[in-house]
Amino acid sequence: MRVTQNSNQALFLTTIQTLESDLSQTQNQITSNKSFTTASQNPTAAGAVNNYNQALAQSQQYDTNANSAQTRLSTEDTTLSQVQTQLQSLRDLALEANNSTLSSQDRAAIATQATQIQNSLLALANTQDGNGEYLFGGFVTQSPPYTLSAAGAAYHGDQGQRQVQIAAGQTITDSDNGNAVFEQIKTGNGTFAASAASSNTGTGVLGVASLSNGAQYAAGNGIYAINFTAPGTYDVRDSTNALISTGSYTDGGTISFAGAQVTLSGQPATGDSFAVAPSGNQSLFTTVQNLVAALQPGANTSASTAQLNNSIASALNNIDRALEQMSNVRADIGGRLNSITTQQSVSGSQQIQLQANISTLQSLDYAGAITTLTQQNTTLSAALQAYSLTQGLSLFKYL
Amino acid sequence: MSDVFGISVSALQAFQAAISVTSNNVANASTPGYDRERVNLTEGAPQSNGVASIGSGVVVSGISRSFSQAAANQLNTSQSALGQLTALQNYSTQIDNLFGTTIGGLSTSLQSFYNAFSDVANAPASTASRQALLGKAQSVASSFQNASSELNSLNTDVNSRISADVTQINSITSAISTLNKQIVVGIAQNGGQAPNELVDQRDQLVSNLSQLVGISTTMDSNGALNVFVGNGQALVVQGQTTALTTVPNQFNASQLEISTSALNGNEISSSITSGDLGGLLTARTEVINPALNQLGQVAAALSQTVNSQQADGLDLKGQFGAAIFSVGTPQATASSGNTDATAASVSVTNVGALTADSYVLSYQAGAYSLTRASDGSNVPVTGAGTAGNPLSAEGISIVLSATPAAGDRFLVQPTATAAASLKVVLADPSKIAAAGAVQASASNSNTGASIISGGATLDPTNPSLLNPATIAFSNATTYSINGGANQTYTDGGNIDFNGWRVQISGAPAGGDVFTVKSNAGATGDNRNALAGASAQSVGVLANGTATITGAVSALITGLGSQAQQINTAQAAQAAVNTQALTSVQSVTGVNLDEEAASLLQWQQAYQAAAQALAIGNSLFATLIHSVNGTSG
Repeated sequence: MRVTQNSNQALFLTTIQTLESDLSQTQNQITSNKSFTTASQNPTAAGAVNNYNQALAQSQQYDTNANSAQTRLSTEDTTLSQVQTQLQSLRDLALEANNSTLSSQDRAAIATQATQIQNSLLALANTQDGNGEYLFGGFVTQSPPYTLSAAGAAYHGDQGQRQVQIAAGQTITDSDNGNAVFEQIKTGNGTFAASAASSNTGTGVLGVASLSNGAQYAAGNGIYAINFTAPGTYDVRDSTNALISTGSYTDGGTISFAGAQVTLSGQPATGDSFAVAPSGNQSLFTTVQNLVAALQPGANTSASTAQLNNSIASALNNIDRALEQMSNVRADIGGRLNSITTQQSVSGSQQIQLQANISTLQSLDYAGAITTLTQQNTTLSAALQAYSLTQGLSLFKYL
Repeated sequence: MSDVFGISVSALQAFQAAISVTSNNVANASTPGYDRERVNLTEGAPQSNGVASIGSGVVVSGISRSFSQAAANQLNTSQSALGQLTALQNYSTQIDNLFGTTIGGLSTSLQSFYNAFSDVANAPASTASRQALLGKAQSVASSFQNASSELNSLNTDVNSRISADVTQINSITSAISTLNKQIVVGIAQNGGQAPNELVDQRDQLVSNLSQLVGISTTMDSNGALNVFVGNGQALVVQGQTTALTTVPNQFNASQLEISTSALNGNEISSSITSGDLGGLLTARTEVINPALNQLGQVAAALSQTVNSQQADGLDLKGQFGAAIFSVGTPQATASSGNTDATAASVSVTNVGALTADSYVLSYQAGAYSLTRASDGSNVPVTGAGTAGNPLSAEGISIVLSATPAAGDRFLVQPTATAAASLKVVLADPSKIAAAGAVQASASNSNTGASIISGGATLDPTNPSLLNPATIAFSNATTYSINGGANQTYTDGGNIDFNGWRVQISGAPAGGDVFTVKSNAGATGDNRNALAGASAQSVGVLANGTATITGAVSALITGLGSQAQQINTAQAAQAAVNTQALTSVQSVTGVNLDEEAASLLQWQQAYQAAAQALAIGNSLFATLIHSVNGTSG
């Protein structure tokens, strides 16, 4: 083929430009440590890296969410453990007040302490999280969920349970509302509660109330009255006034009927009655309020002492239920904190995997790139060398 | 004796001419468009002395150029193709680089936006987290706006380059027509011999023209070259030119189309597919505008999903959430050729069915037809185009202000301007709807063991949505809502009423009561914010198969592949072009070594001819001398 100096020159320039452009791209890859710097160099990988980056950012957000939930749940757990301590103190005070040798001044002092505990409990129920939101208000988090009035503490929150997302498809409740924690506490033994009528004139004091046959109790209508028809004699009637059983009373003995059994001590008078009803929900603060009210000094008769003893017994039952409730909620919180910890370690490894994926697609194979750079460099210098050699060739030189 | 002188002189003259032509070749070795020339030598007419005929020397019969029309045509075609791909590559590369940074930024800001929803969910009452969400929304909107304004500026650039190309094409064609006239005259004067310099210039102009726009040429018998463009629109015929002109697009006056002064404003853009001009037009229709549409599709979907999520919940003040984003209304522009003033308006009815295409709506013979602008394929359309019964197709509905005149056309662009017009319209962070609209709760005196779900919004437009409702169980399996008809309880089944939905699960007992009421005041509720954050994993586009963030990744891959494909095609065409150039050069180019050899050859021939003259002279002198000696 006939070759001219012009086409030689043009061909050389094109070649050199291509070589320099390739060299520059390799250089760019090495300096940026990326195997591609624009999407066109590897479109599929560019899209995938974008997806992985999004997944990574999302996973990191899940971590943030989990930390936020962890903080709130830990605060709640600490708060509830303090509630437990306070309830334990209250229980000790109630036991102390149950001692019949106490003077009314002593009892008043105990009442004062109980009031203080009531205030502490109220403050705990109005705990705020790091953002100033009330922990136990449900979704009503900007105002204190509990306020105290003469009638007791009232709950102003709602039943909202806030969730946060800690993984794709996994949400976790990051707090519990006051309704679930403090309001829905069963009374009595959890199945039924026994109480003495306030009109009782005898000294009958209720002791342990328990289920002897749960199925039998559940089969009945649940509401019963133990009526003393004569000293030492009682009958048990249900809510329709149907007679369930009769018996003769022994001090400290057990009265059993319809799957339930209660112990009764002291001397009930004729006409005294004791009621058994299915446990309902009672607010922790109602329980405390009732105890404080019962401890207030009153008439110093044997009947009022029995009434006090019955109130304290009922309060002790309810405090026990509340303590159980706190343990249950705390166990639940513990479970959630565990899931968070598990999820955190899972997401940690997910993030490492995602970063590895990104790195695999995007990071430069240095050995390969440097080899390529060397090759390109060699080719370019050879091309330049060839040019300078051939450019010197001209017949005109020899004329 | 006179023969020797005559022959020698003719040789000296011929070789001088040959040396001149060779020198001219050397002088023009680097002149663009110069075709190597050769001197054509012919023997002189023989003279007979009665016995034999003796040649009478050499004459220069012409100077011819080395030229191959086939190779030149091949080069011109190749240059047109290369010009088109290079122009296209210029834009696809800019978009590729743009999408490395701006779109990467868009992707990051979208992710931050969704994450900010999570932060609001973590602290729904916190103004700081709400403000941060609005900030992230702003940066998402800015990213879309930036990307679209960069694409729009590419379109502006295309327009200005189209104008520049058209100007340059017209000046070249007018130069060709001038050369045509001169060449025709020159051929006539030189007795059929074309003036090489002028033909060289004309070929060079045609070559330059072919880089700008794909052309075809024909040669007339008188030596004039005719140039045609597109589907055969003449630019140069003999000494006449027809100017290429730019006209505004019939639907979009800001986009220039190509026409000629003979076409009365009708555009021929679609037939111009090669050369720089073809590349510019292709870049606009196949690279820039589709990218704008796709970006707009994502922006429209984002705005729609975020806003509808907002509408499902309540803000800090207990009001339904306000829209966070707004996108401009989709475009429907009437053709400038329409004969009446009927206007079309478009709205997006279903983001999932929305495509990134543009459509042409035409009204002909009392019926509407919709075609995809990219490929002209027919799109099924239903409805009558009235407000009561709009035309609907592929997630959009079109309403016309009146019945259009026959032949009216409208360009429908559902997504073209969405990215540019995406704005954050919410300024008050308290108006972010983090809370659900309703809240369900169970009465504390319920004796059954059942729980109720929080309550989800099904239809935020239901006027009774926030009205309190009571679900009362008359026994374990029967309930009624607000004292209405008895319904049978299904454990965990959906209970829908007043536009909300709850599920009750477990074992309710007779007398159990659940209430569903407005969630106003529940500033700690984060359910709607939670839904907003998880919306990023919910498929929206392409009938719910593509998430918004996924669509951005797909956009990056798609545009990257396009750029890669164009780069590959351009590199291949560049190689083809180098081949074509080399093959043209191998015929027409000047090889200096060859010319040096020629010079030597002509020099020696000249010296030989001069020597012949000297010998003739000495023969003549000898003759004179001997005549003198005889007589003296």
